[in-house]
This record gives sequence, structure tokens and C-alpha cells, in this order.
Amino acid sequence: MLAVTFVRWWYGAGWNTLVHNVQRRNQRTIDSFSIPTLLRTLFAPWKRIVSAPGAGIDAHLRAIGDNAISRLVGFTVRLTVLVSAAVSLAFLAVFGLIQIAVWPFIPFAAVGLIIGGLVL
Amino acid sequence: MSPHPLNLASVRASKARLARQLGEAGYTAILAAEMSFVLLALAIFTFGEHPERGLLAAGIAAVWFMLAQWYQHDLKPLPVEDSSFTGRLSGDVLGRLPSGAEISPLMLWRALSDHWHMNFLMNHSLIISRELETGISNRPADLEQMLYTASQLADRAGRRAIEAGHIITAIQLSTPSLKPFYDHLRLTQNDIAAIGNWLDRILNELDRERPFFGGIGRDWANGFTPTLNRFASNLSFSVEHSGSRYSSISEGSGVAAIQNSFAQGSNAVAIVGPNGIGKTSHVYGLAQLLLEGKVVPTLQYNQIFGLNPSVIISSARRPGELEEIVLMLMGEAVQAGHIILFLDDAQLFFTNGPGSIDLTQILLPVIQTGRVRLIMAMDASDYQRLRTHNPAFANLLSPVMLSERPEAEIMDVLEDSALGFEHKHKVIVSYEALREAYRLSGRYDTENAYPGRAVRLLEQSMSHSVQNQLITAASVQQAVEQSRGVKVGAASGVEADQLLHLEDLIHQRMINQVRAVKVVAAALRRARAGVSNPKRPIGSFLFLGPTGVGKTELAKAIAATYFNDETNMVRLDMSEYQQPDDVKRLLSNGANDNSLILAVRRQPFTVVLLDEIEKAHPNILNLLLQMLDEGELTDIGGRPASFKDCIIICTSNAGADSIRQHIDNGEELESFEKEFTDELINTGQFRPELLNRFDEMVLFRPLKPEELAQVVRLMLGSINKTLAHQNISVELTDAAIMKIVETGNDPRLGARPMRRQLQRAVEDGVANRILAGQAQSGDHLVLDVGDLAL
Repeated sequence: MLAVTFVRWWYGAGWNTLVHNVQRRNQRTIDSFSIPTLLRTLFAPWKRIVSAPGAGIDAHLRAIGDNAISRLVGFTVRLTVLVSAAVSLAFLAVFGLIQIAVWPFIPFAAVGLIIGGLVL
Repeated sequence: MSPHPLNLASVRASKARLARQLGEAGYTAILAAEMSFVLLALAIFTFGEHPERGLLAAGIAAVWFMLAQWYQHDLKPLPVEDSSFTGRLSGDVLGRLPSGAEISPLMLWRALSDHWHMNFLMNHSLIISRELETGISNRPADLEQMLYTASQLADRAGRRAIEAGHIITAIQLSTPSLKPFYDHLRLTQNDIAAIGNWLDRILNELDRERPFFGGIGRDWANGFTPTLNRFASNLSFSVEHSGSRYSSISEGSGVAAIQNSFAQGSNAVAIVGPNGIGKTSHVYGLAQLLLEGKVVPTLQYNQIFGLNPSVIISSARRPGELEEIVLMLMGEAVQAGHIILFLDDAQLFFTNGPGSIDLTQILLPVIQTGRVRLIMAMDASDYQRLRTHNPAFANLLSPVMLSERPEAEIMDVLEDSALGFEHKHKVIVSYEALREAYRLSGRYDTENAYPGRAVRLLEQSMSHSVQNQLITAASVQQAVEQSRGVKVGAASGVEADQLLHLEDLIHQRMINQVRAVKVVAAALRRARAGVSNPKRPIGSFLFLGPTGVGKTELAKAIAATYFNDETNMVRLDMSEYQQPDDVKRLLSNGANDNSLILAVRRQPFTVVLLDEIEKAHPNILNLLLQMLDEGELTDIGGRPASFKDCIIICTSNAGADSIRQHIDNGEELESFEKEFTDELINTGQFRPELLNRFDEMVLFRPLKPEELAQVVRLMLGSINKTLAHQNISVELTDAAIMKIVETGNDPRLGARPMRRQLQRAVEDGVANRILAGQAQSGDHLVLDVGDLAL
């Protein structure tokens, strides 16, 4: 009786739970890397470090240069994190899909492997 | 016969039993087996002579893997299946019940005896679970009703599963035979249900998903804040890292109002409410919402920094440096972006003085330009003061008025705090202690509001744990007694004996006035036994009679016996309050020696003696009506002061001649009391509504010569006390005493001249003898009529 219950769970609620867990893991990865925030602020100055332009064309040009550097630093750091996030997410997504795809075959695999091991 | 409400042969019950048999240890063993076979398979595939045997190991590892998955995601959590009792009962209850048995409430109770829900509920209600067993039904037929009650409790708590706590509470609630047991412990059905509800709130909190606070990129959008980090505390950081959660507050109307104010374009919000109401907690609640990102778009990614005025002031070493620091702080907040500054005790930032600085001129342009958002916390009087003294600044603030929450919510806050105290002090805080903290803080801490005052009292009680590190109602009472100097616990032992014999104690220093002493003692016993109205003063008496008959002495005796010290008295001569303006003097909240309010705030547990009450202005008598009725007066600043722990005694000589006349005619006090009261009202000396407010009107009669002789003996006793350190004692012969009475007796002044007479007759004589060397250490002087220096 319990064996039947187990099989029903494996191909019903168990599989659903796995799908849900994979989704949640992916969402946590997105959250941990703050992907929406990084995309929104991709070109923002690093830690809001900006120079206020003083009087004269030289000061203006210097401020534009400084701020461009600050934005470049911000962009580089954020892009690096975004790339890492994308790699991690891709890896986890593929791993999750494999998990979901393999799940229904695990009981058959277990039986097959045991029989194979005994017979061969 | 109806079918048994629980199907213990069901698959769900079998799964629950299997999960219980496996337990966490079994699950760990399964994981270990799984890993072992995985490693074995790898080893065989890699190094084995017969790699095909690795298949067997891999197959067995897969079986363990499936078992582990099943246990972790199905057997252990055992989701609710349907709405039947068996389908809803939580796995850790179902797993304890044997298959095929007819379960009774008692069997269920015993099965749950080691469940943590049982420990929680019993510990917090101060019950030993085994002691209840004798009253619980052992009839399987009673199970259905009990399960029905449990399912209702689960529904009410918003929980799908019927948990062990619901079962235990339901058994307690649906077993009438347990009532005497609860009566003995002073627990009501509501208390039992409330403790169950406390457990439900913990379970709901445990089930709540761990909040997500933003990830690694969250703070990269903000600037550096080195100066703010030095002079302010980052509340968002505290909420993120302390583990404290403010979910109940962050979801409440107060935080919603703050959010709305910002959403509608305001840049500064004033949270206004009395001390203890939770102004700071609301800011922490907002900080949590900000971290969770559950806020309006304009507030997204904001952090809250709390400015600390004392750190800022102490850092400024030269004139002008203070302003520089503040400007730097504001500049940094603007530059960093997404910062909300929180000014707790905001009045410290609006006034110049020790520990405070006036920043309004700096804050004004900051708010006007809207470059930094501000939250300020202050009480209503400070907000009013700000509106009066700096209306331009006050108009920029959006006030959020916090009012006291309902009792049930305050109890929730107390329960949450109790869990923190339990963890910190390694104690168990009983539910009765929470109730007592609520009750006594409301009674004795009128300066602060709920829930702060109750939480503070509960924390003070932590050092008064009784055996086994338990915090009970007695612990809370001890905390109040220690901090306030008033007895709030039940009178017992010596104290109860003293109360029962209060008359004898008072008569040790009072001559006669038997009726006066009797009515006063009875009123005090009623108050101490807790049968008098707690919303009025402990006792209120109007002492009427000629001067020098013991009215003040009785007031002192009451202070000495009830408050343990005869100086525990606030005494005002009401003949000094004859003008309408004198009301202000009485209700002043500033430095004024004659302010009744201030005196009672300083000494809330005291005798208030108002002499010659009939001479006070009618406006003051109206105040007296309020004081006697509500046990409270409000000062000119609008803050209430409690008189509920005072004994109010008013004295008056009104009608003294009439009393004397009645007594001279040989009448007893009781016989003309009614007539005398009518006379006071008819002659306009007292209004009937005032006389009706007193607990007792006490008539004092003039003292007879033999009673005055007793007064002389009492006074001589106090002279001997004074001389005791010189080891000299004085005795008066009966003739000498009668001589003093004869020369000192003045019917108009009662016993009062007797002290002067004694001073002249005895103290002067003894002083002369000591100086002349005729009285030395160890001497006992017996003075007769001839020895008196009259």
C-alpha cells in the first residue's frame, strides 16, 4: 500500500515539488545577484561618486571626464556581476531542466541498475 | 454507534507513523547510505575488476535517494489531504497514534505529553500536564467533539492543519471537569485560548518565508556614507542583521500612513504619540518593508539612518563645528541618495539646551527642497510646542498620529517581547506574568503608553524569577513593589495580620476617636484586599471636628501604617488657595513648591492631606470632585497625574462648635451624624455632591481630660525617645500629668497646647538639670507637680 502511495507521490506531487523548487532556486539566484537593480543602474556612477562642475570650460571638461570614469567603473563592476549571474543562472537552469527531465526515470533506472548489477 | 472520527488505518496515518519511526536520525542514516552507495559505485566503476557490479551499487543509491526525497518532501511535512479530521491532523500528531486503537481525549493527551507544543502551553500556563490527566475524559465517544473544537481553533488561526497545540488547547477547553483546577490557578477559558493563540502566532511566524532583502547589488546604487555611519545608526542594517522582525507593525496602519505621506509628496513626517506607544518600532517596521521592497515606488531602495544628537553634540569641540557636522551629514545624505533620516526624540533637535540642539534653520531648507526625507518622532505636547514656536517648520511636517492599540494587539506585542526575554534571560515567562504586566503597568505607569510601559515592566520583572527560572505574576508584582515602593501583591503573613489589627496599631499613637479609626481602617483593608474600585483613590476621607483632636495625627498614622513612613504625605493648607487663579498653582507642571500634581508625581503612593478644605475656592473644590471620582487630575500642560494610589484626606473645622455642643449634651457621634451633615449642607458650608464623593465622613469629638492625660503620656514617650541616646529617662507622676492637662487644656484648641505645656514643664526642666550636672547618664528622673517648670 505504501509502495503505491510512494509511486503516486513520485509522479504527482513529488514531481511538482521539484519543478517548484527549481523555479524558486532560479528566482533566488536572480534576487541574490540583484539582476533587476543592476540592469536599472547599469550606467549609473559607481557609488554615486560624481564631480560638480566648477567655473570655466576646463572645470566642466574635467567634471565630465571624472563622471564618465565613475560611470565606467560602475558599468564594469555591474556588467561583471551580470555576466557571472547569467552564467550561474544558465547553469542552474540547465541543471534544473535535467533534474525535471530525469526525475520520472529514476525509479526505472534504480530497478534496471539493480537488475543489471545482479544479472551481469 | 457513530464511526470513529479518526481513521488510523488510513494511508495518511501510515505515512505519519513511518515518518515518526524514521525521524531525523533515520533521514540522516538514509542520506549516509545514499552517499556511501554513490561512492561505492564510483569506486567500483573506477577501480573494480567487475565494473558491472557498480550498477548494483548505483541502483541501491538511487533507491536511498528516492526514499530521502519522499521523507523530506512528503512524509515529514505530510500536507493536508482533505477536510476530514484524519486529513487535517498534522503528521506529528497522527504519527503518535497506534493503528487500530479507539482513541480517547486522554490517550491523545498522553500521546502528546512530550511534544514541544505541550511543553510550550503547559510552561506558559504554569501547569504540569500530568496533573490534568485525572480530569480528562477517557471515553472515545468524546473525541469527536474535542476534534471539532480543535479544527475550529485551527480555522481561527488560519492554519490548514490541526496541530498538536490545537488538540491540547481543545482538550483543555472542552473538559468542564478541569474548571476547578483552572480556578485555583486563576486561569480563565480566555487565558487558555489566548496561550493557544500565542503558539499559533509562533507557528505562523515559523512558516513565514525568510524575507529577501535585496542581494549584492542593492547598495551599489547608493553612495558612501562615512559621516552618517559615524553620527547615525543605520536602522535598515540593524533590521537586516539583528534577526528581529517587525512584521505585525510593518503591516499595520501606522506604517501605511507614513508611506502614504511620502507617496503624496511630503518630505518630512512627524510620528506623534506618547512615550511607549511604539514610534521607533514603526520606523523599524518601515525599514523592514523597505528591505523587503514592499513599498511604494518612490521609496524603493531607501535606507533609514537614525541621528543621535548626543554623539553629534559631544563631537563638536569649537563654536560652529556643530553646524558644520550637521551640514556635512545633510550633504552626505543628499549625495548618497535614497536615505531617510530619522530623528528620534525630535524635540532634542529643535531646542538649544544641555543635550539638545536647534537644527530647524538647517533642516528647513533641506525639507523645502525635498532632497532628503525625514521622519521625526515626538509626543503631542512637543509637536504642539513646535507648531507654536516654529509654525513655518511645523507646516512642512505631515503628522501621523499614533493612538493606543487594542488590548489584544498589546498582548501580542507582550508575547513577542516575552520570547525575546526568555531567550536573553534563560527564563520562562508565564502568561499570567504578561497579564499582570499589562494590568499593573496600566495602573502604576501613567506617564507612558502601552505597549511600551507593559514591555518595560515585564523586562524589569526578569530579575524576580521564582523557582525554576519562572517569571510569574508574583515576579511582576515584586518588580512594581521594588520600583514604585507600593505593595501590590496579595497581603499575607505579618502584613495581613497588621491589616487585621490596624485599629490597635493606630491606637498606639492615637487616643480615642475609636469610630474615626474604625472607618479608616476598614477602608484601608478593603483597598489592600483589592475589593475597592481601582479607578478611584485607595481611600478618601473628610475629617470633621474641632482643632487639636487628632485629625492630622490620624493622617500621619495612616501614612505610617499603610505607606510605612509618616513622612509619606503631601500636605497642603487650602486656606492658601482661595483665589480662582490658585487652580493654576495647584495644577502647575513646572517648578512650583505648591503644585499638587508635581508632589504626587514625585510621590505617587502617599497620603494627600488637604487642610481646611472649606476655605478653598469653589473651582478647587470642583477639581477635588474630579480627583475623587476619576482618581486623576490633568496638569496645565494636558498631562494626567494619577491619584489612584493616594489616600485623600480633607480636614475641616466646619461645624466644630456644633460637634462640641452635641457632645457636651451627652450625645454620641453616631446619633447626630446625619443631622450634622444636613446642617453642613443647609448652611452652605459644603455642597452635597462633594460630601457624597468621599468614602467616609469622619467626625472627631473633643477630647476629655482623662484622654488628654493619655496624650501627655504619649508625648512623654517621644521625649524619652529623644533622651534615650543620653541614657536619661523621665517619668511624670499622675498628679503632674493632671496638672499639665489642667494648665494646658483649652477647649477651643484641643490637645494642641499640651505639647507647648509639656515642653515648658518637662523639657526645659530636664535641660536645666543636664546643664547643671544634676542629671547624668543612667538617671531616671521622676517629676512631680513641684518639679514642673510651669
